[in-house]
Amino acid sequence: MAILEVKNLTHTYSGNSPFVNDAVSDVSFAIEKGEIVGIIGHTGSGKSTLVQHLNGLLKPTEGEVLFENEDIWANPKEIRKIRSKVGLVFQYPEYQLFEETVIKDIAFGPKNMGLEGDELDKTVKEICEIVGVKHEFFEKSPFDLSGGEKRRVAIAGVMAMKPEVIVFDEPTAGLDPKGREDVMKIIRNYRKATGATVIIISHSMEDMANLADKILVMNKGKIYKFDTVANVFSNSEELRNIGLNVPIVTRVFEELSDLGINLPERALTIDSAVEILSALKAEVENA
Amino acid sequence: MLKDITFGQYYEASSPVHKCDPRVKIILMLCFIVFIFVSQNAFALALSTVAVFFVLLLSRVPMKLFLKNLKAIWFVLFFTAVINLFYSNSGTVLLHFWKIEITTGGIYRSIFMALRIVLLIFISSVLTYTTTPNSLTEAIERLLSPLKYIGLKNAVHTFAMMMTIALRFIPTLIEEAEKIMNAQKARGADLENGSLVERVKALIPILIPLLISSVRRAYELAEAMECRCYNGGEGKTRMKQLRMSTVDLYAIIFIVVFAALVITLNIIF
Repeated sequence: MAILEVKNLTHTYSGNSPFVNDAVSDVSFAIEKGEIVGIIGHTGSGKSTLVQHLNGLLKPTEGEVLFENEDIWANPKEIRKIRSKVGLVFQYPEYQLFEETVIKDIAFGPKNMGLEGDELDKTVKEICEIVGVKHEFFEKSPFDLSGGEKRRVAIAGVMAMKPEVIVFDEPTAGLDPKGREDVMKIIRNYRKATGATVIIISHSMEDMANLADKILVMNKGKIYKFDTVANVFSNSEELRNIGLNVPIVTRVFEELSDLGINLPERALTIDSAVEILSALKAEVENA
Repeated sequence: MLKDITFGQYYEASSPVHKCDPRVKIILMLCFIVFIFVSQNAFALALSTVAVFFVLLLSRVPMKLFLKNLKAIWFVLFFTAVINLFYSNSGTVLLHFWKIEITTGGIYRSIFMALRIVLLIFISSVLTYTTTPNSLTEAIERLLSPLKYIGLKNAVHTFAMMMTIALRFIPTLIEEAEKIMNAQKARGADLENGSLVERVKALIPILIPLLISSVRRAYELAEAMECRCYNGGEGKTRMKQLRMSTVDLYAIIFIVVFAALVITLNIIF
């Protein structure tokens, strides 16, 4: 069963400007429970606008968003409830930190959901465990942490609501390689612990190939493609035409075959490339 | 939403009033205001009214925008009109009850005063509608520059720079506030419901991050300015120089003629 379904969603930003443009136009897709879906698209393709509909921060101009087959806007007064079911981690989430201590900040979300006392304490500690917030940071001010640690705390702040679907808008932007690795690990750990459905917007094709089951490609406010990772990355020409690309290792494999080197298949990740090449090497040695 | 707040009321159009040098515009607006006050009788005020409407039409700014500005002060307008109604006991008595009487003189005075305020609002709106906030600040800086001869050498420039930066960062901060609001809403913050105390408390998670990012931005901006060797106003030149043109000459002639006529009408009647 699809946990999240978007039907004919259109969003028009109504501003004072005479240039009214649909930020998202007539988009439909369904996400199955437990899937990891990557969203890629060039800047301004409507990715961020699209994901803000999933937890009801934006109301569709037309169309609807269904969570477990129910229209999230069925009762507009209850819209806050959906926000604990569909968590949204914004770009640079560390800018939303505000509490005196790390632990209080992480507790902000679950507290808004009505958790109190021991239950609240237990939930927060549990999340800190999953996300890897160190014990010695608990009583520190979040503003004294390093950039990577701040982001870790901010992500924990959303995860503490235990959402069934969690959406990340460029979670690794502005981090060093170690920080990026850490964020990816946090996402994997959370999914392992809770079985949540994950949606990630990213500009890193490598991260997408490593993590996602399916990829949704946005172009000019419309869905260009929604398919498995292998199928989306099978045509690099097409992706380049809309300002995107395939993972570097896939490009290396493509260039090699253009040079006339016969490779059995195209690698999407470094791991699969190593596998393919070792198999090839063994084959050559055996022959 | 926050985005609907329009700051500065600049209305983009191509008109002689838009082309007028902002320095000249500020001074002429001040003259206009003075002579609207100098208009002592119906004829002079009628002339002022015609002159103001002439400038409004010339500016090509839609009339409804000027009327919108009136809406904000309708209470002041109403209050002035009512007070002045009882202020004069000249003319014939139209209405008499208890100790209060309303006379033709009172009605004349009431309309006179209200019209004066309307004209003041209209003419000062022309300035803000036809001049961008940035050229306004620049003009103020240039107009105040003589102050450097009395020991306020850097103060005028610093003040103008502060105003320019503040204006520049208003849209940025609005955008930032909106982002933070969304992020806190995504964490279940309730900004719309609750008692007054609860709502004020709900602002804390927005104000603190906003304050911190403003301080961060201020540091970044200061560093960027220093990297480009900014050291105050001394020796600084402008990319776009303010230059007077024939439009300004016509504007000055217009005001001089207007002022002369107002004074003449005041003396004759």
